[in-house]
Amino acid sequence: MRIFNRVVMMLLLAGLFVLGVYMVVYAFELFGYSLSSLPFSGFSNGLQGFANDVERGGLSVTTLIILFLLVLLGLLLLIAEFKPPSPSRVRMGNGTYTTRRVVEDEVSAVADEVPGVLGSSVSAKAQRRPGAQVDIEGTVRRGEDVGTIREGLRSTVQEHLSRRGLPVSKLNVKLVEADPRQTKTRVQ
Amino acid sequence: MADGIQLARAASVAALATEGVHSMGRGRFVEAATYEGREKVSGVIVGPEDLEIHIVARYPLPRPIPDIAESIRERVAPEAGGRKTTVVVEDVEVAADENL
Repeated sequence: MRIFNRVVMMLLLAGLFVLGVYMVVYAFELFGYSLSSLPFSGFSNGLQGFANDVERGGLSVTTLIILFLLVLLGLLLLIAEFKPPSPSRVRMGNGTYTTRRVVEDEVSAVADEVPGVLGSSVSAKAQRRPGAQVDIEGTVRRGEDVGTIREGLRSTVQEHLSRRGLPVSKLNVKLVEADPRQTKTRVQ
Repeated sequence: MADGIQLARAASVAALATEGVHSMGRGRFVEAATYEGREKVSGVIVGPEDLEIHIVARYPLPRPIPDIAESIRERVAPEAGGRKTTVVVEDVEVAADENL
């Protein structure tokens, strides 16, 4: 939500800036524009008509659907704002934290050394509970025994992180078959 | 019991003297430091009830990260005055004497 909030704030401030420029132009009657030429009456009439329709309960089905969707969108945004942001650091327990980069570097260091793995890409996510969620995508040669390599990769990474004292709450291993000519390592 | 910048200084010295610590961290999104007057101690944030120590660990790690953190906490405890000490490992750096 932090990025969403920033985008909304940027759009809002840009809109306010443009409106401010318009206000100055119209207020000082610059470039032939004047406040009297603005269609205020048409806008207020439309608003009044909409309010009357709401009071009489005479809104069209399309308007009702749009209003319902707006309420739903508002509710979803409100719930998303209340949701606490995901932590930026990996909790190791007992007042010790580390960054995701440390976990990623440690996993990358051993993942590429597992027999059969030609290359790997690692991403670690911090979670509210102790330990990181680690996603590894390894590349293997076509026709290799993917099951064995996956198990080898999983156990090697788990052992290495356990030696380092880095807790892992979830370890996802995905292997993709690739042409060795396009990978970092051609032979393992 | 030290206070403010003195505690930050003591914590920094204690952390750097711990085996497995390469250097003090600087914070990732916000600078981790304690200021007083013109002096600045990087890698330590002293709060009224807590103390945050940011370090860069030495590679290869001589022992597990929680052990390093525990050693730092033990060294800092006499000066911390009962503050809750948090250790943040920001990075792992290859030491200059390691030919890796």
